[in-house]
Amino acid sequence: MDRMKDRLDALWTEYRDATPDIDAGPNFMPQLWQKIEARRVETTSVFRRLAQICVMATVALALIMSVVLIPTTHNDEVFYSGTYVDALAAEHSNDYVDVLAAADLR
Amino acid sequence: MLVDFELIERARSGDDSAFNQVVQAYRKRILGTIARLIGRPEDVEDVGQEVFLRLYFSLDQLRTAEVFEPWLYRLTVNAAYDYLRRQRRRHESRMSDLSEQQVMMADAAAGGKRNVEEVRRTKIRETVDDLLGKISEEDRILLTLKEVEGLSLKELEKIYRVNENALKVRLFRARQRVLKAYEAGEPEVGE
Repeated sequence: MDRMKDRLDALWTEYRDATPDIDAGPNFMPQLWQKIEARRVETTSVFRRLAQICVMATVALALIMSVVLIPTTHNDEVFYSGTYVDALAAEHSNDYVDVLAAADLR
Repeated sequence: MLVDFELIERARSGDDSAFNQVVQAYRKRILGTIARLIGRPEDVEDVGQEVFLRLYFSLDQLRTAEVFEPWLYRLTVNAAYDYLRRQRRRHESRMSDLSEQQVMMADAAAGGKRNVEEVRRTKIRETVDDLLGKISEEDRILLTLKEVEGLSLKELEKIYRVNENALKVRLFRARQRVLKAYEAGEPEVGE
């Protein structure tokens, strides 16, 4: 076992010597910058597409709100054409009848 | 460090010429490490470019220039690991698929020009590559960094972000597995 271990240790060293550091070819740097540029463009186009989707979604939502929600809200509202005094009288007309009825009972 | 901190800081802040200088300083060392990690000379430049590409887009995440080298090694290990996984997925047989270098060697041999020393080196490379092909990608990379690249435990701790004890256990197990594969193969080189 120890003999094998020693042989393996020697093999690692020999392997290190048999595989010296290699330098890159002349196209290494130009190709690297091409890849960097390609990745930059890709990232930018992804963000651009995401922004376009957001804008389209916002416009669609605004349209839906204007077509569906706004008319519904308007229909529910109560409009008064009379004056404030008329509205007050209409609200409290029953109270006035009750007062008169109480007076008759006396 | 092969470059000064100031150059790394400049590269971090988006200076492309500083980045170029950093790549040029580390290129040879990183390509050599990749060659030993993946064992296929024809793919070394591709993996090397992937390492520097990842470096370019992740430099802003680097906390301080002091941890640059372990950071670069981690990127190298990850790129080599991704490459080895892809290769395994493609079911490419390392021994049956000759590399460019091996083909050149075979041509030279056919022409009767084969140098004895080069034959011995090729045999060692084949033996170790074959041996490392029999263990997992994780074991292969860890053992190559420790035994071939000669990185210390402290350096490996920074690369793997694990404590020394956990690392020692992983190394011990990886060594046991490679020793088992070596015993089973009983190669004749190295003697």
